Amino acid sequence: MGAARAGEGDRPAAPQAAGETRVLLQGRRLVRRFGSHTALALVDVEVRAGEVVALVGPNGAGKSTLLAILAGALRPSEGSVVAGDPRPRVGWVPQRPAQYGHLTPRENVELFARLEGMSGPAAQAERILREVGLEAEARRASQLSVGNQQRLNLAIGLLGDPDVLLLDEPTASLDPKGRRRLWELVAQARRNAGGIVFATHDLAEARRVADRLLVLLDGRITFAGAPAEEDGRLAEVFE
Amino acid sequence: MRSIVVLLRKDARVLARSPLLLTALVVYPLLIAVLVGLVVRYAGERPRVALVDEGGLPGVLVIGDRSFHLQERFEQAKEVELVRMPAGQANDELRTGEVLAALVVPDDFASELRGLRESPRIVLRTTKGGLGTRVVEKVRSLVYTVNLELQQAYIDANLAALELVLRGGSGTIGETRFSLLGLRNAERELLRLEASGNPAVRTRAKQLRQFVQDLRGAVEQVGDFLRATANPVQLVTESRSGRTWILSAQAQAYALALALAFVTILLGAAAITSEREEHVLGRLVRGLVSLRALLAEKVVLVTLVGALLGLLLAVVFGLIVEVGGVSGGQPWSRLPLLALGLALAGLSFGAFGVLLGTLAREAGTATLIAFLLALPVTLIGLVPESVTWSWLAGLSPFGHAVRLFTSALYDAHPARSVVAEGAWLLGLGTTFVAGARLGARRLVE
Repeated sequence: MGAARAGEGDRPAAPQAAGETRVLLQGRRLVRRFGSHTALALVDVEVRAGEVVALVGPNGAGKSTLLAILAGALRPSEGSVVAGDPRPRVGWVPQRPAQYGHLTPRENVELFARLEGMSGPAAQAERILREVGLEAEARRASQLSVGNQQRLNLAIGLLGDPDVLLLDEPTASLDPKGRRRLWELVAQARRNAGGIVFATHDLAEARRVADRLLVLLDGRITFAGAPAEEDGRLAEVFE
Repeated sequence: MRSIVVLLRKDARVLARSPLLLTALVVYPLLIAVLVGLVVRYAGERPRVALVDEGGLPGVLVIGDRSFHLQERFEQAKEVELVRMPAGQANDELRTGEVLAALVVPDDFASELRGLRESPRIVLRTTKGGLGTRVVEKVRSLVYTVNLELQQAYIDANLAALELVLRGGSGTIGETRFSLLGLRNAERELLRLEASGNPAVRTRAKQLRQFVQDLRGAVEQVGDFLRATANPVQLVTESRSGRTWILSAQAQAYALALALAFVTILLGAAAITSEREEHVLGRLVRGLVSLRALLAEKVVLVTLVGALLGLLLAVVFGLIVEVGGVSGGQPWSRLPLLALGLALAGLSFGAFGVLLGTLAREAGTATLIAFLLALPVTLIGLVPESVTWSWLAGLSPFGHAVRLFTSALYDAHPARSVVAEGAWLLGLGTTFVAGARLGARRLVE
């Protein structure tokens, strides 16, 4: 687990091995409607090995919906999600902490490890809680600070060392130390040839961390490319 | 299956960490069971009835040597709460439902009663509706009781008159006083005449004495005939040391079903929606747990909780019965059969709660709806078979649960009833689960 390299800001180190650009997960012509409201309209997205993708857009743009569909938590109204071969393990960290308030962080992680069918759930929980800095926390999840709840949320998403990590506004309630730790974990996942997609409405953060930007506005992708290719017009949209 | 067990352990842990919830789950249905039991038992015990006295109700009625305070007797009736009021007010209150009936005493009631040339009449005016029948029964009971008391007085007066005919002496009919020789005195006089020297008188006296003797024998039996014909069938009420109502088999079955209905419906609705409230449904349904398995886990949870709670109640009930030395005792050997019934009823009620949860989605809304529907669901189950729409009762698990519990605990041969009612509960539960499965996707979206 290495820290982000100097000179690249928080951007995680890119993997060097061959074959890293294989597609791990692909969303094809995704449409999602909630009643009469269309949250996503014909969105195509790819998650490639060793790549960090920032899903950028204002509130209500469809970022969380897209991540939930990629995670398999939500069904698209149209289109499909195709997994690569071999099927990647997908970790999902939703925007709102998804955990049981009456259980401690350890119990929460152990529970999801058991549901995942992992061997040695207690050891898995110990390891992952250590990684997010919650190993000594014995209070119930509902009694934790918002930031620590988000850490626990991240810990559950990291269970099983996923090949694809989907993070929905992961830094929203983290303190600077927590953010730094988060990007360290993302960097490690990237080095392990994982693909990372994170949603944010912070364009600066997206430029700093991501290899590729996907800009969503009203459920449509309005820009897809490297941060360097973006000519600054997006800032006008967000500011 | 593994995921169901894992989630069950989680839910058990969550329940154990909510002592307030656990206490409420036990105490609340018990309280409801007792309150509803009391309401059912005492509801309409003394319906409010208007008493319209058009001047015919005598203050005191004297029959023989007994006096009847009829006005007081009516006003202090235990059967109904008679409230004296003018006819106009009675009509108004009857129309608005403030009184359930009006008892009208016509102005010739007293004279008819004293004369007894024909039975005096009082008129009961009721409204159409469910409670009208109950009021009629109550007033009939009151009139029957008064009739019985008056009848006894009239019989006593008649017996006194017969005694006068037998023994002789002075008496009154209305305001007319009279003296009678009496059959026994007449017999003695005729015996003396038989000693007469005149053979014709002697023969005639003997014939007459024989007649008087026969007549006396007949009159002496009239009293028994009078009593017997007044009450061809006599109801004798004996108080034995049996179970009080609160410890009866019926009360136990109702308490169990009511407690189970409230706990499992509310718990089922809350359990499924709490997963959504914690935002974990998305995590679960993306391959960890299917919606079908999640619903099954919630139904199993409420079934287990319901069965455990029901058994706890049955044991507490049994201990009270044993400590109280109540005759018959608690049928402890039937507890396993009862446990099966409790599980089936818990499954049925719980599945209904889970269905409500999937429809309502939000925990708060689901709990409120479950709370609002729990009582109607139980009451629908109580609709008697004589009512036109009694088929509706079959759709509620409540009636089936009550019959199953009663049968499991107290029937000499419970198999047929347990199988039939158990099948109903299982069928209803399966239907509710199928409904919940149809709506479950809405929880995630």
